Amino acid sequence: MNDSTPTATTAAEPEAAAPAPVDRSVAILVWVSQRGVFLFTATLIVFASVFVNGFASFVNLTDVFYRAAPIGIVAVGMTFVVISGNYLDLSVVAQVATSAVILIAVSNEYGIFPAVLAALLVAAVYGLVNGIAVGYFKANAVIVTLSTTYIGLGILRWLSGGSIFFGPEDGPIRALGQVEVLGLPLSAVVLVVMALLLAFMLDRTNFGFTIRAFGSNNEATRLAGVNTSRVVVGAFLLTSVAAMVAGFVLAAFSNTAVSTMADGFDFGALAAIIIGGTSVFGGRGSILRTLLGVIFVSVLTNVLVLSGVGFGWQQMAIGLLIVVAVSLDTIARKVATS
Amino acid sequence: MTANQATHDEARSVLISAEGITKRFGGATAVDDVSVTVRAGEIYGIVGENGAGKSTLMRILSGILSPSEGRVLVEGTPLGVGSRAASEAGIALVHQELSLVPEMTTAENIALGAFPTRSGFIDRAELRRTAAAALEEIGVSVDLDERVARLSVALRQFVEIARAVASKPRVLILDEPTATLTPAETQYLLDMLQRLARRGMAVVYISHRIPEIFGICDRVTVLRDGRHIETVLIGETDPQRLVDSMVGRELREDLQVHRQSAPGDVVLNATGIRAPRVNGIDLQVRAGQIVGLGGLVGAGRTELVRAIIGADPRSAGTVTIATDDGLRNVSSYQAAVRHGIAYVPEERRADGLALTMSVSDNIALPNRKALSRFGVQNRAATAEMARRLADTVGLRPPNVRRDAGEYSGGNQQKVVIAKWLGRRPRLIVLDEPTRGVDVGAKAEIHRLVRELADEGAAVLVVSSDLPELLDLSDVVHVVRDGRVAGTLSGPEADERTVMSLAAGGQEVAS
Repeated sequence: MNDSTPTATTAAEPEAAAPAPVDRSVAILVWVSQRGVFLFTATLIVFASVFVNGFASFVNLTDVFYRAAPIGIVAVGMTFVVISGNYLDLSVVAQVATSAVILIAVSNEYGIFPAVLAALLVAAVYGLVNGIAVGYFKANAVIVTLSTTYIGLGILRWLSGGSIFFGPEDGPIRALGQVEVLGLPLSAVVLVVMALLLAFMLDRTNFGFTIRAFGSNNEATRLAGVNTSRVVVGAFLLTSVAAMVAGFVLAAFSNTAVSTMADGFDFGALAAIIIGGTSVFGGRGSILRTLLGVIFVSVLTNVLVLSGVGFGWQQMAIGLLIVVAVSLDTIARKVATS
Repeated sequence: MTANQATHDEARSVLISAEGITKRFGGATAVDDVSVTVRAGEIYGIVGENGAGKSTLMRILSGILSPSEGRVLVEGTPLGVGSRAASEAGIALVHQELSLVPEMTTAENIALGAFPTRSGFIDRAELRRTAAAALEEIGVSVDLDERVARLSVALRQFVEIARAVASKPRVLILDEPTATLTPAETQYLLDMLQRLARRGMAVVYISHRIPEIFGICDRVTVLRDGRHIETVLIGETDPQRLVDSMVGRELREDLQVHRQSAPGDVVLNATGIRAPRVNGIDLQVRAGQIVGLGGLVGAGRTELVRAIIGADPRSAGTVTIATDDGLRNVSSYQAAVRHGIAYVPEERRADGLALTMSVSDNIALPNRKALSRFGVQNRAATAEMARRLADTVGLRPPNVRRDAGEYSGGNQQKVVIAKWLGRRPRLIVLDEPTRGVDVGAKAEIHRLVRELADEGAAVLVVSSDLPELLDLSDVVHVVRDGRVAGTLSGPEADERTVMSLAAGGQEVAS
C-alpha cells in the first residue's frame, strides 16, 4: 500500500505525489479487511480438517455446500447492492420465500413454466420497487427494503394462508433437486455458475463498472454523465433475480416451500459479503470473495455444529465477526480517502 | 472630521491587540505576521481578495484556531486556547456559513450551547427571556417558537447575530454577513451594527464589498496574500485606492486579456439563465474562445455554470450547443455530456473523482461506451487510452493503475481533465481549475486549457485567481449578485477593473 515509487516526486511537486506513508499496522489491517478472507478460509479449513471429527468427509462437505448454496446465491447477487453503496437488500427474505412458494404452488396447479414466469414477474416487481424508491427517490435502502419485506411477506402469507406446499414425489422439482454434476449437487453448481457470471458482470461490463463507480463516488459518477438512478435500479433488479434463483434452489432441495423458509437470509448474505471484504461504504468489493465469505461462514457454522456448540453461540460468533469486519472496513476507508 | 476621529480613536480603550500573528497550514502560510488592534465602540473593517487570509485571522481572534506565531491580547491578557476562552473574554464570531440547527426554534438556537438550567432541567422560561433580550438588543423581531428551517435566509442571519450578541460580547466579529442578503436587508444590518457600536461594542466587519466598508467602518485594514498591507482611517482613503491596495501586486502588463485569436462560431448559447443565486444571465462561448467568469466567492458563478450545463436544475432560461448535427438543447446534464460538454467541478475530491478507484477507471468512466462492445469493456483499449491521456496531461508518476486518491491535488486535477479529453469536448467548463494546485501543475493545466481552445473547443473558466483569469481568458464576465456586472476584453481588462466590478466599487460603462 505504501510503496513509494522512485519517480514519485519531482521538485515542482511539493505536495508529494506519493501516497502518504501509512502506518505498517494500519496497512496490515486494511489488507485483512479487504483480502483477509482468503487466509481465514484456508486456515479454518485446514484447522477443521485436522482437529474437527467428521469434518473432512465427503458427505459432510457435500452437505456444507448444499446448505451454503441458496444463501450464497443471494449473497453474490446482493454484493451489487452493497458495492453500489446502498447497504443491503433486506427484502431477499420475502423474495426467496415467495419464489420458492410460487415454484411449488404454481407448478402444482399449472405446471413448471408458468411457475417460473410468475416468479420472474415477482422478481421484476421487487427489483423495480426497491430500485426506483432508492435510485430515483433517493430513499434509504434499509428502510425501503425493510418495508418491502413486510409488504411481500404479508402478501405471501395472505395468499398462501401460511401453509406448507409440497411438490409431488415424482415431479420435475424433486428431480432437479436430486441432479448431481460430477458428484456435486446441482445447487452448488448453480452457485458457482452464478458467481462466475456475476463476477464477470461486475468486473468486465459497463454495468458493473458504473455500479462500482457509483459506490465509490456517486456525484462524480453522475457528473461523468452516467444515469445513476438507472444504475441503482439495475443493482436491485440483479439482486432480485439472484433471490429468485435462490428460491428455486431452496424449493428443489426439500421439495417443499413455506413463507418462513428464508428467515435469516438477509443477515446471512450480508455476513458473507462483509466477511468477504466488500466495503459497506460502497465502491470496493468482489463476487469471488463474497463466495469465499459464504464458504467461510458455512464451514464455521458446520465446525461449531460438529463441535457441539449451541445455536446461540453460533449466532454470537457470526455477529462478533461482522462487528470486527465492519470496524476494519471503516479504518480501511479512512486510509483510502484521507 | 478625520482629525477629530483620529484623536477620538486614540482615546478609546484597546480591547483586542493581536501581535505578529502568523498561521501556517502544512507548508502554506495563510496569515503572515499580521498585527491589529480593535478598540471599543469602533467598526473595524477588514478587506482583501479571496484567500487573503481574512477568515483565518478572524478564526484566530475568536479562539477557533491558535496562531503558529504571535499572540492575541484581550485587554492586556493573553487569549486562552479554544472558542470557549474567547467567549469568556467577550469575543463572539458570527460565522460565514450559517451554523444554526434548522429543526430547533429561534429561541433554542439563540441559547444553543448555553441552555439555562434549573435543577438539571432546561429552564424554558429563562431560555425564552434570554433569546428575547438578544433579539431586542439587535432590534429584530422574530417568532421565538418558529423552527429556524422555516425562517428566511435573512432572518436566519439575524438569528445568528442574536446568538452571538446573547453572550453579551464586547467584540463582535462578522465574516461576510451580507453575502446572502438583499440591499434592503443589508442596510438594516449595517444600521444595526452602527447602533451596537454606539453602545460601545467593537465590531470587526469582514467584507469584499467596498460600499459597505465605506458605509459603516471607522478604520479599515487591507490584507493581501496573508500579509498586512495597510490600516487607514476610512476618511483618509477612497474606494479606488482601497481596491488598488487589495489587488496590490505590481500590475504586470502581460496579465491582461491578450489572446487575440479570431473566435469561431458560437458553440454555447445560454439565455435568461435563472437559478438560486443566478438572476438572469446571458452567455455565449465561441469555438476556440476562452471565456472567464470573475467575481467574488458567493457571487453565483459556480451556480451559473452548473445551471447552464444542467448539473443543477435551472428555474428559467434556455441553453443550446452547436453540434455536428445542428443546434441541440441542453435539457439535462446527461444531454449536456452527450452533446460534448465536459465539466471539471470546483470540488474535485467530492465531485470530480472516484478516489478509491484507479486513475484508469476514472478516465474510463465518461468514455465507457467508446471503450466497450455490447457492454463488455475492452481492457486493452481502456489501458491504452488511460496511458495516452495520462501522458497528455503530464500525470506524475504516470501509473494509471494507482488509486486516484493517492495522488496530489494537482495530479488529481489532471486526471479530472484527462477523463474528458477522451471525448474531444466541444465545450469544457472548468471551475477553479487550479485551486490548491502547486505552481508546476498549474502551468501545465493552463497549457492544457489553451491547447483545447487552440484545437477549437469552447472553454468556460470560473476563477477567483485574478492573474489566472486574465491570463487565460479572451473575454471576462464579472459576476456580482447573480448578474453580469461587466464584460471586459482587450486592454481594459486588468486586475483593478475586475476587482472593482466584483466588489461593486464602481460601474464600468461598456
